[in-house]
Amino acid sequence: MEIVRLREPHELEPEDQKFCEATKSWFHVDFVPKMSRVLLTLPAFGRPYGRASRRAMSDGALSRGQKELIATMVSAINVCEY
Amino acid sequence: MAHAAAGKLQGFSDDQIWYELAYVAGVTHALNAVADGLGLPPEFSPSSRTPLIGLPESVRPEAAGLLDEVAAFYAMDHPPAVFRWMARDPGFFQGYWGATREAFVDRKLDRPMKESLALAASLTAKSEYGVDFHLREARRLGLSEQGLTETVEVVQLFNTVTKIADALQLEPDFDPRASA
Repeated sequence: MEIVRLREPHELEPEDQKFCEATKSWFHVDFVPKMSRVLLTLPAFGRPYGRASRRAMSDGALSRGQKELIATMVSAINVCEY
Repeated sequence: MAHAAAGKLQGFSDDQIWYELAYVAGVTHALNAVADGLGLPPEFSPSSRTPLIGLPESVRPEAAGLLDEVAAFYAMDHPPAVFRWMARDPGFFQGYWGATREAFVDRKLDRPMKESLALAASLTAKSEYGVDFHLREARRLGLSEQGLTETVEVVQLFNTVTKIADALQLEPDFDPRASA
């Protein structure tokens, strides 16, 4: 069980609610992932992290799909359920 | 789990891809555990490591042939130490090398991609032997410097979020069987 109460998207700063909408589109899902809500609970952390993440996960020498495979590998080695 | 779902949403909906990723994860992690655990020095980089065990000076003929095959697979002039260790038991070596080779050959995922995944696994596990080995292999098979930068950035990003998720004990919110 999560050890904190996660903020609902409407509880985030208006600027960050827009980012959450973009995140739904980015992942092709109809909900705001918990990790996005966690990162934006402290906007001073989540905003620059989000910029770095979008930059790193966009198509480049590796496709975005290939990068998601690498992310899955990291999660597997770290035995991360989330 | 979230990134498996995200990967599927990026077009990797074929389960075979995820089986292949899992085989690479398992074999890479195991070989790294043995190599680092036994203190085997990296194959391609200088190291002050002293092995905790001795590698066999000579092996049985059936194992010698397999070691040649391993060296050829990796385009090396000698077989990697972790496989030389395994050659102590030719029967085990034959089986495990066969599985390793099949995990890394081109299938749905190509061998260069699998080496990038093995590099990510090795970085995440902080395996000196594995990072050295798979960095060389990934480059040898065509990973560009830009590709390397991107691989390491993804590893860094997701080592961040996996630890945040674990610290807060986040429960999954993606459907891992979702597909585009």
